[in-house]
Amino acid sequence: MNVAKGIRDFFLRTARDKRVYAEGSFLKVLEAEKDDKEFQEYLDLCKEKDSDARKKRLAITKQIQEQNRELERVNKENESVNKQLSKALQEAHKQSENALQSKQEAEIAKREAEKLRDEAITDLEAFQKKTQTELMGSIVKVALMVILGVGLITTALYVFVLLQGHDSKIIESTWSNLFGILLTNSFSIIGTIMGVKHATKNDN
Amino acid sequence: MIDTLMLIDDENLFHLVFEDACSLLDIALSIEALNSSDEADKLFSDWFPDDPNGEKPECVFVDLNIIGSSFDGIEMIRKINHDYGNGVVIGIISSSEDEMEIQKAKDVGAQFWIIKSDDIEPRLEAFKEDYEGYKSGSAPFKVYK
Repeated sequence: MNVAKGIRDFFLRTARDKRVYAEGSFLKVLEAEKDDKEFQEYLDLCKEKDSDARKKRLAITKQIQEQNRELERVNKENESVNKQLSKALQEAHKQSENALQSKQEAEIAKREAEKLRDEAITDLEAFQKKTQTELMGSIVKVALMVILGVGLITTALYVFVLLQGHDSKIIESTWSNLFGILLTNSFSIIGTIMGVKHATKNDN
Repeated sequence: MIDTLMLIDDENLFHLVFEDACSLLDIALSIEALNSSDEADKLFSDWFPDDPNGEKPECVFVDLNIIGSSFDGIEMIRKINHDYGNGVVIGIISSSEDEMEIQKAKDVGAQFWIIKSDDIEPRLEAFKEDYEGYKSGSAPFKVYK
């Protein structure tokens, strides 16, 4: 497209005085007259400047694009690492909770075991006491039977001697001594049993 | 040289790359870059059936996945070709090389598929050489790798 002389001169003057040149797609439609070397040179210069500027901008834009892609890639990697960390943290938290729960369960089991042990000890003590009481009862029974048996036999023998009119001096003293001994032993046995019972009670 | 070219792509930075590359390669005189397919859909519906001011672009480059839009690039091509009367050279510009997507694009009437990368200039240059064929409808579908 050829331009009017006034416009042509305006372009050339602006370039000379202000160093402002035409640029962009507009340059692709501007044409100089065949014999107008000055304007042709002006258009060539404008195109060269425009092309240099575009090349520079294209290189920078591509560089920014590359950087953006790199940032995006790094960002994705970071997101992936963050996800892994978050997962590991959740896992650790879960394991910590499990450990806490296991500890609580172990404590409950320990308390249960202690309770059972205490119950067993109580039962054992009760059983021991029962056995002791039964043993003491048996001792008392046997002792009383022996005492009563000996007392009855001696008394019967003494009564028999008295009724038959035999000499009763020896049996009399024997009966008296024996009765005394038996009585003393009876109290001794009772005293021992009471003592044992009292001592057992104090131990508990 | 293409008079008016439309780019539909959600990446603003790529708009600059595309505009500069096209300017340096003398591919297009003017480029209109849009961020969404909805925006493009509205413009094409306005230009259909009549475009008295001749605003409809000569060629359209559509990204495959346009984030923030109601539909993707393939659907956009289908709409332009089937709902808005076609009449433009149209194709996909995407970083994807998915064969299934390429076939889908071909099925809805895309004329080319340009792989988007840092080194886009050689592909655009090859496209520029084939452009007249696309305009006349004689060039077959092509993938620029």
